[in-house]
Amino acid sequence: MNEQFEPKIVAFVCTYCTYAGADLAGTSRLKYPPNVRIVRLPCTGRISPMFILKALQKGADGVLVSGCHPGDCHFTSGNFHARRRWTVFRALLNFTGIPLDRIRFSWISAAEGVKFAELISSLTDDIRKLGPFEQYKAMIHETETPVSL
Amino acid sequence: MSIQEQYRKKAAELLSSGEVKLVIGYGAGTTPDRRRPLFVRSADETSKLHLDAACEANLSGYLVTEGLLADRKKVGIFLGPEGIRSVNILASESQLDPDQIVIMGFNREAESVSALEGSNVRDFPAMLAALKEQAPGAGEQALVERIENMTPEERFTFWQAEFEKCIKCYACRQVCPMCYCRRCIVDNNQPQWVQTSSHTLGNFEWNLVRAFHLSGRCVECGGCDRACPVNIPLRLINRRMAMEVLDAYDHFSGMSPDQETVLASFKKDDPETFIL
Repeated sequence: MNEQFEPKIVAFVCTYCTYAGADLAGTSRLKYPPNVRIVRLPCTGRISPMFILKALQKGADGVLVSGCHPGDCHFTSGNFHARRRWTVFRALLNFTGIPLDRIRFSWISAAEGVKFAELISSLTDDIRKLGPFEQYKAMIHETETPVSL
Repeated sequence: MSIQEQYRKKAAELLSSGEVKLVIGYGAGTTPDRRRPLFVRSADETSKLHLDAACEANLSGYLVTEGLLADRKKVGIFLGPEGIRSVNILASESQLDPDQIVIMGFNREAESVSALEGSNVRDFPAMLAALKEQAPGAGEQALVERIENMTPEERFTFWQAEFEKCIKCYACRQVCPMCYCRRCIVDNNQPQWVQTSSHTLGNFEWNLVRAFHLSGRCVECGGCDRACPVNIPLRLINRRMAMEVLDAYDHFSGMSPDQETVLASFKKDDPETFIL
């Protein structure tokens, strides 16, 4: 067996910018790897750090969080709030040993279909090189077996 | 007159004059070196109050007991610097009216206690500014740096081993003055964000969520760390998060009752080195 590892990547995106950007990538017929599962949300301000933990809990190897560039938020300030939250949450993930290469953040506007396609390609390549998130998977696996007393 | 006598007398005066309806302080514990919270409602009980270096608990959490402050009457309370910061945060989060709190402030040193001048939460700006400068928790700093210098795999293994011990008793939540949510996220099961079984995964998630919710709010009173029955070094995570908000946003929690909460405010030019 010499099958290539196909990572599972979950992308949490805002509907006004990054989702529209992904749409543009599609309608422009740009190619990007099929490893990404996109979850569309109203705003990056809606993206709770719990989503990232939930994605990992369900076996994601990488997570992408993306929304409108600062100043472009449909709700004027959602992404500014999100940015603070990400900064703090990212530091926390780093401190507890979740590799930051697996959790990415980006600003992608509705016009940046090319940026979206390129980001997904590079992210997929990077995570493929890292391999499956074995340490987290071991913890998930443990939950499937009864607790030892 | 020792500070203990001084504050006993002050508490008696406050209670007998009717200025406060209750004084929250420390009473004798089960052993001579321990203190437990004491709620005093009449002047003749004030002789039971203790104040010495063993008084380490942050009592401010009792102030947000449901209904306590609803009658607009004042409450007196023994608070150290961390407790004063906690009251500031609770006030900035609209959990209490700071003018209802009569503070009997004290500073704890190794063997003794000294009085802090002032009785309203707004009376301590100089003390808090000095505290921000001297960066509390310096003892933890070395350990935090040691963890920072590990590889991500080593860090993960380290915390996995720590969180494996967690029994989800939620003592850390119960003791924390900042954990006043009526319904905590871990008690939610629609959706079930955090796994409730005592497997490491759910423990990991719970401790991450707890630390995140305290980011920029924790005053490092050390209550969670002391309460933890399995000795998870929670103070290290709290220290790391306090460092983060201080470095990124120059935020030192609990400086004043009007301070903006760090994760509910923003600046247009906040740093964003990691966003692609």
